[in-house]
Amino acid sequence: MSFALKNSKQNGIYFYARFLLKGGGNLSVFKDLWWYFKLEKSNYLMGIAMFVAICLLQAIPPYGVRMVLDTIAKNTITTKDLTYWSLIILASGLLTYGLGFYRRVKLFASANRLSKLLRNRLYDHFTKMSPQFFHKYRTGDLMARSTNDVQAVSLTAGEGVLTLADSIIQGGLVILIMAFFIDWKLTAVSLLPMPVLALLTTKYGRLLHRRFHDAQKAFSSMNDRVQENISGIRVVKSFGKEEAEKKQFEQIVENVVHKNIAVARINALFDPTMMFIVMSSFFLAVAFGSTEVLHGSLSIGELTQFILYLGLLIWPMLAFGWLFNIVERGRVSYHRIENLLQTEPPIREKPDALITVPSGAIHFHIPTFHYPDIESAALKEIDIHVEKGETLGIVGKIGSGKTTLLRLLLREFESKQVNISIGGVPIRDFKLFALREAISYVSQDPILFSATIAENMALGKPEATQDEIESAAKVACIHEDILNFKDGYNTTIGEQGVTLSGGQRQRLSIARALLQDSEILILDDSLSAVDTRTEHAILQSLRENRKNKTTLISAHRLSSVEKAHQIIVLEEGKVKASGTHHELIQQNEWYKQMVDRQQLESLILEGGGMSI
Amino acid sequence: MIKRLVSYLKPYQKRVWIACVALLVATQAKMMIPVIVAHFIDDHLRPRDVSVKVIWLYGIAVLLIQLIAVVMQYIHLVSFQSIAQWAVKQLRIDVFGKVQYLSQSFFDRTPIGTLVSRVTNDTENVNSLYVYVLSTYITGIITVITVYISLFMLDVQLATWTLALLPIIFIVIYWYRKLTANLYRISRSKLSEMNSKLNESIQGMNIIQALRQEKRFRKAFTTANNEHYHSTMINIKLAGLMLRPAMQLLCIFAIVIALNYFGFTSLSTSVKIGEVFGFINLLERIFEPIYKMMIQLSQVQNAVASAERVFDLLDQTNHSPQQLGHEQPNIKSGRIQFDNVTFSYDDKNTVLKDVSFAIEPGQTVALVGHTGSGKSSVINLLMRFYSPNQGAITIDSQPLVQFDERELRNKMGLVMQDPFLFTGDIYSNIRYHDDIITDQQVLEAAQLVQATPFINKMPHQFHELVGERGTSFSKGQRQLISFARTIAKNPKILILDEATASVDTETEESIQVALEKMRAGRTTIVIAHRLSTVQDADVILVLHRGEIVERGNHQELLKQQGLYHKMYCLQNHATLHHAT
Repeated sequence: MSFALKNSKQNGIYFYARFLLKGGGNLSVFKDLWWYFKLEKSNYLMGIAMFVAICLLQAIPPYGVRMVLDTIAKNTITTKDLTYWSLIILASGLLTYGLGFYRRVKLFASANRLSKLLRNRLYDHFTKMSPQFFHKYRTGDLMARSTNDVQAVSLTAGEGVLTLADSIIQGGLVILIMAFFIDWKLTAVSLLPMPVLALLTTKYGRLLHRRFHDAQKAFSSMNDRVQENISGIRVVKSFGKEEAEKKQFEQIVENVVHKNIAVARINALFDPTMMFIVMSSFFLAVAFGSTEVLHGSLSIGELTQFILYLGLLIWPMLAFGWLFNIVERGRVSYHRIENLLQTEPPIREKPDALITVPSGAIHFHIPTFHYPDIESAALKEIDIHVEKGETLGIVGKIGSGKTTLLRLLLREFESKQVNISIGGVPIRDFKLFALREAISYVSQDPILFSATIAENMALGKPEATQDEIESAAKVACIHEDILNFKDGYNTTIGEQGVTLSGGQRQRLSIARALLQDSEILILDDSLSAVDTRTEHAILQSLRENRKNKTTLISAHRLSSVEKAHQIIVLEEGKVKASGTHHELIQQNEWYKQMVDRQQLESLILEGGGMSI
Repeated sequence: MIKRLVSYLKPYQKRVWIACVALLVATQAKMMIPVIVAHFIDDHLRPRDVSVKVIWLYGIAVLLIQLIAVVMQYIHLVSFQSIAQWAVKQLRIDVFGKVQYLSQSFFDRTPIGTLVSRVTNDTENVNSLYVYVLSTYITGIITVITVYISLFMLDVQLATWTLALLPIIFIVIYWYRKLTANLYRISRSKLSEMNSKLNESIQGMNIIQALRQEKRFRKAFTTANNEHYHSTMINIKLAGLMLRPAMQLLCIFAIVIALNYFGFTSLSTSVKIGEVFGFINLLERIFEPIYKMMIQLSQVQNAVASAERVFDLLDQTNHSPQQLGHEQPNIKSGRIQFDNVTFSYDDKNTVLKDVSFAIEPGQTVALVGHTGSGKSSVINLLMRFYSPNQGAITIDSQPLVQFDERELRNKMGLVMQDPFLFTGDIYSNIRYHDDIITDQQVLEAAQLVQATPFINKMPHQFHELVGERGTSFSKGQRQLISFARTIAKNPKILILDEATASVDTETEESIQVALEKMRAGRTTIVIAHRLSTVQDADVILVLHRGEIVERGNHQELLKQQGLYHKMYCLQNHATLHHAT
């Protein structure tokens, strides 16, 4: 550290260089975005042209001021001169205003179109991804990338380009005009303090970065503390320690205040420093300029003009630091977005895949199946045959492989060891679109959208008539429930509307699947929240309405599969037993115990067998 | 609301004034410089009366004033930030303190995330409200005023003329505000509409694909995306028309007026050229602070909304049931009685109906029943987290409502199903804010609940960190520590709410031993799902749909062949099955 202090001057230069280099590295985001700049070539070129025009226009008012001042000073001013220059200044002002507006709109429109484009691309991409992708990235992460990151990139393409042009074009042009048209010596002298400004702001930036980090840490520990307190509020209350908690919180808030003030102390340095440097420039300009005026090599008008130009330089100097901030975020964000867009969908269709909708008996032949990156097999030695029109029941404990089996049929995952065919044709030979037309899937925890009940039901068949919707609802035993809502089928559900119970959600999504009228219906534990009586009714009407169509039911509750043509009992990924309900009760000990247990359970739930 | 916001500044009144004075001095000093330079030009440069002495004099004056300006600016910047921080600190403490005393029902209704965000994020926005209003707005207004003072110092007549700028600026601000308030709202709602579509689609992509609706959803999203784009563009255009470019244009107008004024004056009388210089220089400075004020309008609106939410929470009246009357009954023996207690959380669905029972001092009573039978509600009432709608609860024949909060909390120990430990070490968790408890008592409590063996195996023993960032303890170990926490305060009444559920088999045994020791000499209420843990209770109450349907000890209830018997069979069947 002492070494660094001794060489503070070199150190400063080193930091400045590093700052530039680092910033320069971040500027690569402009290279990343080059395709877009090319796409919007005309807009960006127009924008740049406007920049130059505006910079030149901005140089005019100070020049006019100078001319007027000089003529006033020489007492040679005429009304004509005055009007002439006034009009010139006004005209340049108005033109600057108009062009400035035009430039802003052009540039920001392009930047906004970029964010629109990226968002659409991301959305398109999401529609092609399989569940693995959504499992890997989670909703929060995907949302963050589609909102914050897209915004950061758009900021780079708009504000970033604007500031880059500002600092290079405006800064450069103004300095050139000052040096060539007024006085290069005066320019050099007045600009002396400017590198100090860049240097100091860089130093502050480093300090600020660290302190800001500390402040954020303090804030998040406060956040954690509040989270902990509220999560444990029952403990707090049962021990009556509200005051003690408050005291403890005070200390944490104290720390937050402390860290934030530390940030403020550095943050508050920027403005005064900038002012001091600008003022020094101003002072040098006046002092050095005065001597030139005395020597007669400079007029007072020119000096005023010069000082007005200095004012035009403040922003480009600041913009430089600001720019690096923007592009640094932009670069990181762009890579995060690109990362997503480059993820290949894990399931690929064959180039000559069939577009006919699969139909017929389903055959599972799965010697073994592992989930990606998981060592133990999820399914082993599976060989199941389901005739068209039959119902297959799948039972077993949590984690026994029921859902995995069904998801393989949906082709959410695949592997060479997985051979599933419908009507004798392997499912991997079909287009996904065709396969999905053959299958309706209802999950245990169905997703509903913020829309009306009718819209949710007709999700897969937007053209469905009210009659169709209602008859599907009747089969799923949800029709009566819906009529009880205030707006019936037009009731909105979701955040702004009514909340449905778990059972209602399940029945609604069964109705949704029924509207599809696919040959294969999969109920993946999707009757779990429906009471036994309703379950019976639904299964009964399904049997009546789905003659000659295949149904696959996985269930925890055995009553759901009682009437199935075939029931398989899965255990640790293997078929432990299979047969009809009656066969299994006689042959399988586990199955029989489960049947007894579940009967007892439902008896208790009903309060049956009470002694009073 | 402004009144309340200001009241948080009261304790720092002096600092606010100091900061304002510093601000005034800094701004005035800044404005002095063009004035001084104007004088320099007129008095010395133009008459060519410049000596070394004069240059030095002016040089030093300018530097000094500059230094003052810079120091004062730093002082007011730091002061305003600090004052805002202190004010928000108090606000945070107040909100946090308020939250502590809100009723349990409030917490049942309000998501944790929302509350946390009130205490931290919304108050953070209030912080920026203070900073914006204090810094930007006061600075802006003072700057404009001092510019005008300097202008008047230079030329009264022209300065009067330039006053005409103010109404124009106000009109621009007024219209900008009026137009943006609405547009800002629209574009925000478009944004949230688009984002919620996206969010929903991501969550439901599986079903969208299964139903082959990708194209339709893509189209809907594109529409939302386009709408958002258009509303953003309107905002951009408005900003382009009315913000910085507009201010620059106004500045040009002002300069032209000044030039013409001086130009025409110079036709008749001589004009001080320095004045013209000073004037133009000063005029330029009015517009930057105004621009800053304008761009922060929307953020201020945002912050005001946050402040409203924070004050809403502070105004909540949904407190925990409080002590009634001024008697100070004590819990001595721990006899509990429920008389015809009826209770509902929402006044619609009754969760307890006419529940009556008595627990003698030192007895253990078990409450059993399936999920939703009302077991936990009994405890919520006994802990006075809620008040019953009808009926009476007494402890030692004194109404529950008459007890002092502290007496109640000290004499009743509640252990919950999910052991909740706080960040800190084992010591601080067992002691839990109670400094009267000695280290020895902590050790004894740990000893009693069988926690000592595993704690001693920890690298830092009683100083081992628990909570989120500490070593991960098993659930059973956490439960043992929470037992010790309850036992350390030596309660008269012990309430175990599913305390043994979901505990790993490893610690199950020590927990059973611990429970037996804890119950000794205390009135105990046990809620348990696993009937094996309640067999030795003195009385077992079987609840069904809010009513006590069976009561008696284990043997008596089994003989009744009722609900308890069914439950017992079911569970033993299960254990039998697991055994095989």
